[in-house]
Amino acid sequence: MILLDRVTKTYSKDSKPALDRVSLFIEPREFVILVGTSGAGKSTLFKLLTREEKPTSGKIVVGGIDYDTLKDNHIPMLRRKIGVVFQDFKLLPQRTVFENIAFALEIAGMTRHEIKSTVPKVIELVGLTGKEKQFPHQLAGGERQRVAIARAVVRQPKILIADEPTGNLDPRHSWDIIRLLEKINKYGTTVLLTTHNAEIVNKLKRRVITLEHGKITGDQAVGSYRQ
Amino acid sequence: MSAKKKLNSKALTSKKHNRRRLLTLWRVVRYGTDSFVRNSWLSVAATAVMTITLLIIFTAFITQNILTDTINELQDKVNMSIYLKTDTSNKTGNELKSELSKLASVKSVKYISAEEARAQVAKDNGKNNDVLDALNQATNKIPATLKVIVVDINNTSELEKFVASNKLVKDYINPDYKPSFAGERRNTIKTIGRAVNFAQAVGLAAGIVFIVISSLIIFNTIRMAIFNRKEEIQMMKLIGADQSFIRGPFLIEAVIYGFIAAFIATGLGIWALYASSKTLISYQISVQPTIDLVTMYAPIVVLTMMGIGAVIGIISSLFATRRYLKL
Repeated sequence: MILLDRVTKTYSKDSKPALDRVSLFIEPREFVILVGTSGAGKSTLFKLLTREEKPTSGKIVVGGIDYDTLKDNHIPMLRRKIGVVFQDFKLLPQRTVFENIAFALEIAGMTRHEIKSTVPKVIELVGLTGKEKQFPHQLAGGERQRVAIARAVVRQPKILIADEPTGNLDPRHSWDIIRLLEKINKYGTTVLLTTHNAEIVNKLKRRVITLEHGKITGDQAVGSYRQ
Repeated sequence: MSAKKKLNSKALTSKKHNRRRLLTLWRVVRYGTDSFVRNSWLSVAATAVMTITLLIIFTAFITQNILTDTINELQDKVNMSIYLKTDTSNKTGNELKSELSKLASVKSVKYISAEEARAQVAKDNGKNNDVLDALNQATNKIPATLKVIVVDINNTSELEKFVASNKLVKDYINPDYKPSFAGERRNTIKTIGRAVNFAQAVGLAAGIVFIVISSLIIFNTIRMAIFNRKEEIQMMKLIGADQSFIRGPFLIEAVIYGFIAAFIATGLGIWALYASSKTLISYQISVQPTIDLVTMYAPIVVLTMMGIGAVIGIISSLFATRRYLKL
């Protein structure tokens, strides 16, 4: 569950708010697409959800955790409960596919045995079996994004935030990634996806939230992309 | 029964917690060593800069040591001579020697009787028949001498006071020859004293400046290395790594730079010291005590250098990672 109650984020006193009294409720297991032009406030919203930024005002509750009462030293624990996927993959360049995925488990203190049994399953889920020992630079863009998704879901988070995951991919690989996100959603993870790709938004037929100038201007249960 | 169960469960949790900590520590070390190996070019560059830094520090310490030894040797060569009457008996001379030795500012005293002084002149001029003839025919006018080596050649006040106030000195001091620190040689001794002070101060200042500059260079190198990987740090933060897990591998890497650089720098430094020793000795520079010291304590020197390298690396990494670790 994600709850935003009249959340405002202003970066400096003189500038317009990046988010202006945004209220939002996302049910568990929902697949929500967030659309909006550049500067609409999507990235700010994600930064608030991952607690990279604090809201200027308003309330945020994610998975039962009230951000108002969250102490700084508990932020890593929060982030372990949220999977994140980025447009530019953000993989560790000097680590293999297996090591990149295992990293998410190692930081959580899982044992070698647990890692050895969990990682291959996730690698299989994202369709990268046989590529465990390859480094990110040896993979195609779509494959790198699969590694990033595998890393995000290996801890079985309740929420997955995917920020333009198809932004750097060709249409065929983009759809592969979207199908993978749908599969993960099917297993019970709430997915929050941002995209500029109208075709994906229109074909998915999912809830679409539109952000414009820091405000929510549309929230359709089965939405389409508005130019 | 329930209390026992509770205690067991508590012990088990604590054991599990400790095991997890050890596991995390092991992973941090592994990530650090892996990064060192996999970022080979960066590692080579950082280790090279660290080697130069440690070599500068080693050279600064060695130079300071050699300078101190040379200065001490020079100071020992500057005798403060008190000239006594030719007919001073050995008993009186030794009595004065004993009293002088008690002064805090005096390192050692040697008494040379008039006879010994005459014999020395004869020995020094063994091939000069005119001088030998003169020595044999004339009455010995050569004064007996108390050769005093002071702890600090800039501090002769106690000695001067002693000469001015001691009754025995007053009775036996040679009226024709003033003590070296009170007569014409006074200025020469003062000049040497000033030069010694200056050389020591310059040596120390240069050492500190070199150490500061080289530390800044290695700090900057490590900062650049970490700057190159700031996105990696950002990603680690976002997937929930805590500060110690992110920072730890960078510290381990820096410690590895320090350790390897310490070995190379110490090896190069000792080799350079040996290679240059003959030339330095020919210039009357006191290098042997330093060579002896470094050779005798080689393991301690290497360990100290490793410690310095590790500390510089850790401090640089702590500062460099700090700005990227803000939550």
